[in-house]
Formats: sequence, C-alpha cells, structure tokens
Amino acid sequence: MIQTWALLLDAYRELNAKRLFWFVLVLTALVVLSFACVGLNERGVQVLVWTFDSTVINSTLIPASMFYKLMFDALGIKFWLTWAATILALVSTAAIIPDFIASGAIELTLSKPIGRLRLLYTKFLMGMLFVGLQVSVFTVACFFILGIRGGSWEPSIFLAIPIVLLFFSYLFSVCVLAGLVTRSTIASLLLTLLAWVFFWACGTADQITLMGLQENGQRIKLLETRIRRQENNTRKMIREQATKEGNEPPRVEDITPTMLDERNPALVATRTELSDIRKSRETWETSQRIVLAIKAFVPKTSETVDLLNRVLVTTTDLQNRVNEASESEEASDEVEEQPRQRRRRGGPFADTDANELQLEMRKRSLWWVLGTSLAFEGAVLGLAGIIFVRRDF
Amino acid sequence: MTTDLALDLHDVQKTYSGGVQALRGVAMQVRRGEIFGLLGPNGAGKSTLVKILMTVISATHAKGTILGEPLGRKSTLARVGYLPEHHRFPEYLTGRQVVEFFGALANVPRKQRKQRAGELLEFVGMSRWAETRVRQYSKGMRQRVGIAQALVNAPQLVLLDEPTDGVDPVGRRDIREMVHRLKEAGTSVVLNSHLLSELEMVCERVAILVKGKVAAQGTLDELTVGRQRYDVEVDAASAAEGVLAAIAAQTPGTTLAGATFTFGAADPAPVQPLVDRLRAAGIVIRAVKPIRPSLEDLFMQAVTDPTSGKVLTPGAAEANEKESRK
Repeated sequence: MIQTWALLLDAYRELNAKRLFWFVLVLTALVVLSFACVGLNERGVQVLVWTFDSTVINSTLIPASMFYKLMFDALGIKFWLTWAATILALVSTAAIIPDFIASGAIELTLSKPIGRLRLLYTKFLMGMLFVGLQVSVFTVACFFILGIRGGSWEPSIFLAIPIVLLFFSYLFSVCVLAGLVTRSTIASLLLTLLAWVFFWACGTADQITLMGLQENGQRIKLLETRIRRQENNTRKMIREQATKEGNEPPRVEDITPTMLDERNPALVATRTELSDIRKSRETWETSQRIVLAIKAFVPKTSETVDLLNRVLVTTTDLQNRVNEASESEEASDEVEEQPRQRRRRGGPFADTDANELQLEMRKRSLWWVLGTSLAFEGAVLGLAGIIFVRRDF
Repeated sequence: MTTDLALDLHDVQKTYSGGVQALRGVAMQVRRGEIFGLLGPNGAGKSTLVKILMTVISATHAKGTILGEPLGRKSTLARVGYLPEHHRFPEYLTGRQVVEFFGALANVPRKQRKQRAGELLEFVGMSRWAETRVRQYSKGMRQRVGIAQALVNAPQLVLLDEPTDGVDPVGRRDIREMVHRLKEAGTSVVLNSHLLSELEMVCERVAILVKGKVAAQGTLDELTVGRQRYDVEVDAASAAEGVLAAIAAQTPGTTLAGATFTFGAADPAPVQPLVDRLRAAGIVIRAVKPIRPSLEDLFMQAVTDPTSGKVLTPGAAEANEKESRK
C-alpha cells in the first residue's frame, strides 16, 4: 500500500508540474462559464443580457432543464470532453510510458521491491487520473449550473465521470501499448489518434449502415402502402369502367394482379421500384453484418459516450418524440410524395432520423457496448503487461 | 538464510536477442561488509550484471544468491540499494521528495523514510538543497541525491554504478568517504567504475570483467602475487665504474637497470644484504621502494591478449566468437 500511495502521489505531482494540465483545466473552466452564460426564456436563447429570438428554441417549447441537459450532453460531453479535452489529455499523457521506461529512469523503479505489472498499471491509472480530475471538475460545475440555471438538480449527470473515464481508458490503453512498443511519445500519440480514427470510422460506418437500413425499411413500407392504394384505386377504376360500360362490375377478389398491372402502368413501376429496394436492403444488411463483426473487436467510443444520453433522455421520451413526429407526418399530405425531405430539414442526422437512430442504437445491450470495449482494453493492457514483464531494460 | 557472502554468483549468463553474449558464466563473490570493485572495459558486461542483480534484466541462466536469497527475488531488493549509471530522477521532484519517493517504493514506512531522508541528505551534503527541484541540480548534486536514495532503505548491500561520474574532485573524495562510512556501518558496497584509481583507493577486493567473464578476482595483494618487487635506486655518480654491476652479481635475485636494482619479491628481507653492500661500498642510496602493480596494470594485463600482446577490443562477445574460442 505504501508503494501504491507513493506512485499515486507521484502521479499527482507530475500532473501538477505539467503546464498542459492546468491549461486544460482553465479551458474547462471557460467552457463551463460559457455554458452558464447561455439561458433560455420565452422569446428564445439568452446569452448574458442578449436574447436571440427563436420560435423553435424557447422555454415555452423546451423546458429549461431539458435544454441544459441536452446542451450538457451535446456540447459538454460529446464535444468538449470526448473530443477537445480528450485530444489535449492524450497530448498530456502520451509521454507517461515513454518517460517511465526511459533509460536511467526505469532502472530506479524496477530495482525496487515492487512488481512490474503493478508499476505499469499504476502508470495507466495515472493517465486516468488526469482525465478523472478534469471531468470531475467539469461535471460538478455543470451539476450546479443545471441546478441553478435549469432548476433541475440532476445527480445522474455524475455518470459522465465514469463514462468519460471509460471512453478515455480505451484510447489510453492503446497509448500505453504504443508507448511501450515504440518508446516514443510522438509515435504513441500518433498511433493512438490513428486507432481513435479507426474506432470512430467503425462507429460511423455502423451508423451509416443502420441509417441506410432504416431508410430502406421506411421506403419499403411507403412503397407497400402506395402499391396497396394504387391497387385499390385501380380496382375501383376497373369496377367503375365496367359499370359505365353497362357490365356487371367484377368482384374485388376476382381482379387479379395481372389485370391491375395491365390497367395501371404506374403500379408496375412501383412494384419494380419495391423489388429494387428489397434487393438493395440485402446489400445494406450484409454491410451492417460486416461492420458489426469488425466492431465487435474494437471499443465502441461513441456508443460509450451515448450511454449518458440514455440516462439523461429516457427511451420513453425519445420514443414519444419519434411518435409525435410520425403522427404529424402521417397527417401531412406531403408524406407520400416527399417522404423524407420534410423530416430532414436539419440535415441527415437531425430530428426524427437521429432519434430513430438513437432508439435503434439503444437496443444494443450494455454488455455489447461496454463488455466488448472492455474486452478490447483488457486485451491491449494484457499485451502491454506481457511485453513489460518480459522486456530487458 | 544467513551467509557471510552478500553476493554469491555462479555461472551467470546473458545472451541478448541477436546473439550478443553480454555475460558468459560470471562467478563472483562479495563478502558482507566489504567494498568490492567491479571493473572492466566498455561492453564487458558490468552494467548488465548489476542490472540482472536488480531484476532490471533477466538472466539467460543464473545460479547464486544475493544476501542469502536466490537471484531475481523482488522481496530481497528491499534490503539492497542501487544507483544506476546515467540515472534520471523526475525533474519535478525536490531532492527530499526523490529520497522519500524511492524510499516509499522500497517499502520504508513514512515516519522512518522522512527521518532517513533528512539524515541521508545531510550525509551526502545536500541538506541545503533538499527543497530545490532536481531540474536545477548539477550532475554532482544529482549523484549525491542518487546515493541518498540508494541508502534510504538502510540496505545491507549497495550497488553503485559509476557513482563518481561527472563529480568534481571534492565530490569524489566525499563519495569515497561515504563509501568508507558505509563499510564501517557493516554495509557491503559494490562499486562499478571506470576510474581505476578511485577503486584502488577504496576497494578491498575487485573483479575484472572482460568480454562477459571474470578475468581476475581477489584482493589487490592476491592479484599481484608474484608481481610485487623492490626497487633500490642509487646515485650512480657515487659509485666507481663496474662496482654496481659487481654488487648485482654478488646479490642473488637482483637485476640492475641503470642505477636501479630490482628484487622480484614482496618480502623485504632479501633486500637488506644489498643495502649493506651498497653502504659498505659508500654508494648513496636514493630510495628503497616496494613496488606493487597498480590496478591499472592489472586491468591492462587482463584486457591484453597474452599471445598477441594486443589490447582486446571493447564490447561483448558475439555468439560465433564464443564458438570459435571453444
């Protein structure tokens, strides 16, 4: 225990001595302050004393607490902590392992009665301490802003601490392994960023294929509805024409699909379109399977961060939003001819599409998101441990 | 387990990947409470051997004990102090924090290490700069703090790798004194150094490592047996022509070179008749000097190929080199 405390105290001293640590902390404080400067009133968004009128974002449509929660999740967590602050944290911590194993330094620690694995993993924890302190300061400050400005005291936002730590730990495990293998700060940083880009690309590919499938499914539904309506209309036309010609109108069940197709060429085109879309669905499904197979072995960085969103915005809330949007669409005349355009006013990942995507992602279990990511991290750290234990310094 | 040997090594071998044989069966004994010098040319394997003892490097093969415990046992290191060559302390720590930090890693309880840190910084003459950060230290100051951290766990065995590296003459004298005081306290000290004169001044026993093997080991007296002599220098002007040669011929075991008679023995008794004859002949004796080969002489002898007379090239042995020597 004496040794572990000494290593942690040393870790704190090292952080304290790093200018970048304080720089990031000051930046974090600035982000929190800017967060506190933004408010919501009946007219729109208020920044300090200025109000920006908005018919979409105002306190009559969105409760202040929800506004702050969404802002905390979207800007505080998804932008600041998981992008900007993480890059700065990686820059700050990438040197931990190369410095630790540098000639002249490693001999001093390895010659003490302390196990190599304990040394390595304590160093890993040191990197985590860096992010832990940053995210803790940020979250505590946001908790008070949410309470004071938003009127909602939300202890669940403290989940941001373990979630961001988990997210960072995936990347830092790669950084530790790269630092151990290359012994270079720059190389380990670049390799970690490269790995991060790969994880992000896997996540994005997953979202794209999932969106493609959703879009595809909705298109199929739409075309099926259209075909049903066109068939009904055509049957009606056939029966009306027979009546007009003085004949007995055929019974509905006696009208065959061939008769319908002969009578209505648009129906044939719709059926062809449906068939093509069903074929393309197979391609989407194959792509999704491949992406998921690859993703099974890599950490789910985006999905881990989204876990906080699962807590802040419940699945029921999300489902309600999707249902409301769907109802309004169904009521709209535009739906049939312009099926997605109206829903995509905010871009391809906005509004209903994004909510539906989130609902789909939420179907993935915690085990899938965290279990496989932690398995990856465990494997990487295990490999680093083996290398460290076996290496001659 | 108690033994009178602080270090007892047999057949320590280390072959690095790539076939470089740093150690080729080192056998070496260091007694408790003695100052032991480990010397050898660059690449002889000195640092590798010390690193194996400190578990920084794993041996390819090793038999032996350190403080009575098998080699490679981490718990034994709580009783061993180590100052590596070219050590690098965390720059953000002060001298006191360095000593306390490495004391904690050596499992020294808090109260004890705080007390030891103060005492040791005083011992190495660094108490004035104890609260100054390492980044502001000179090389000599770092060495002193390095020695302090090596002693923080009150070790029974201390391994100092080039402790006087970069240290000025005053600092070297101080370090020699420290080493003597450690010996007085019963601590075994292994000094690894290139400075043969330094080692000669403090070491009781030495081992010369050449190409991964111990070429010679023992006290200086043991290593120079048969190579000690007495030189008697006279004033040639005070002797008539041919008298010196005649006296040399009358005295068995004596050779004459210029105005110097040489006796090939460590014993001074045979020198007395020569002195008597010289004085009887009225020849002025300038000096009677017992001559013992220096550590440098021993070292040079150890690193010189006896057949070719050439100094062996520095560096470790390659695998094929070993094969060819078989």
